[in-house]
Amino acid sequence: MSPPRSPWTGTPPGTDHADLAALLARVAVGDQAAFDAMYDRVAAPVFGTVRNVVRDPGLTEEVTQEVFVEVWRAASRFDASKGSPMAWVATIAHRRAVDRVRSEQRSADRDRRAASPMIAYDEVAETVADNLDRERVRRCLGTLTDLQREAVTLAYYGGYTYREVAGLLGVPAGTVSTRMRDGLIRLRDCLGAGR
Amino acid sequence: MRIRRPEPHTLAGAYALDALDAPDRARFERHAARCQECTGEVASLREATARLAGAAAAPPPAALKEALRAETARTRQLPPLTRDSPATGRTRPRPGARRLALALGGAAAVAAVTVWVTASLGPPAGQPSASQEIAAVLTAPDAVKLTAQVRTGGTATIVMSPHDGMLVFAAAGLRRLSAAQHYELWLIGPGRDRPAGRLPLPSHGMTGPVVASGLRSGDRLGLTVEPATGTGRPTTPMILELTL
Repeated sequence: MSPPRSPWTGTPPGTDHADLAALLARVAVGDQAAFDAMYDRVAAPVFGTVRNVVRDPGLTEEVTQEVFVEVWRAASRFDASKGSPMAWVATIAHRRAVDRVRSEQRSADRDRRAASPMIAYDEVAETVADNLDRERVRRCLGTLTDLQREAVTLAYYGGYTYREVAGLLGVPAGTVSTRMRDGLIRLRDCLGAGR
Repeated sequence: MRIRRPEPHTLAGAYALDALDAPDRARFERHAARCQECTGEVASLREATARLAGAAAAPPPAALKEALRAETARTRQLPPLTRDSPATGRTRPRPGARRLALALGGAAAVAAVTVWVTASLGPPAGQPSASQEIAAVLTAPDAVKLTAQVRTGGTATIVMSPHDGMLVFAAAGLRRLSAAQHYELWLIGPGRDRPAGRLPLPSHGMTGPVVASGLRSGDRLGLTVEPATGTGRPTTPMILELTL
């Protein structure tokens, strides 16, 4: 596995890209202990992301499990020259979640989502470990224009397509797709997450 | 209505956010296969979306890890790629994926970050703007999306949050009305039908969004065409009626 082309910046607390990449390399050859260690590192972002999009608790667990089975299965395909291990895992997680939600919607299975229980927000906030990182993301989201921020958060946390975001915000689709790109670029630069 | 297709390159952000539907996604991937710049841009934007994932972190139930051990033990791993191809998991979900039998029930908390993000970044004081209200409904933890055909033409999309008693209504391709008429939403429940908002004139083929509040359990949503002078109650047959 080749090392990243340049040093990582903006590493979230508790996550070391090189360590995670090394764990993935061991997972790729079937190392269960490495898989457990990798899981401990990324399970909370994966679970939280999937839950945001999927919402139904049972389905969230199911999709989270699928994500990790996929990480196990495809670990050999991770390529550090193409991105960070966290981005690789988060991409699998988010895509799997939105794909599942969209196929559920197609089969008109709305009752399950509607049945989601309500939440104790404070309780959730307290259990989140990476408060510093969250604070930083929040601050950087605050540097986006309203439309950029809404487009980015509705797509990522809500799982909506850009056409749906456009329809729901009453803005042309082309404008939304442009704002998503501009907003992410700004967010990336603010977080120092790019390369 | 004619939908203008954005240039593939401008879709890099939407692609990185998984905000493209299947045809748009396939189209972008065909483009990106020949566009190194796009591939690089998507990769760098995904470092940003990974941070959004980090900000949404929430601890999974402990039983999940145990269940995964059993799963990985019986899952064959892919060999490394020997030729250039996509690095991310693009494989389809296996059909009939096993459902986890975890006894979690109501203890499992549901998404909070979305609400936190959109709610806490609003203006310092005063009325929430319409777009903030809309965003709040769209990202409500209990939000449900419904789509329905309007009998006289067009498609309506409704996202509602039963907990907040609010919904966002938008429609595409509604039949054009004369200046003396407008579309009006109604909440139909026990007792009187309550007016829930007049639809604005269409723009770019889209009508809305309109936020309706005061939803009660058991309400249905209706849409009628009414004289522009206003009526206070539906005077024409429902062209859309939905149980919420």
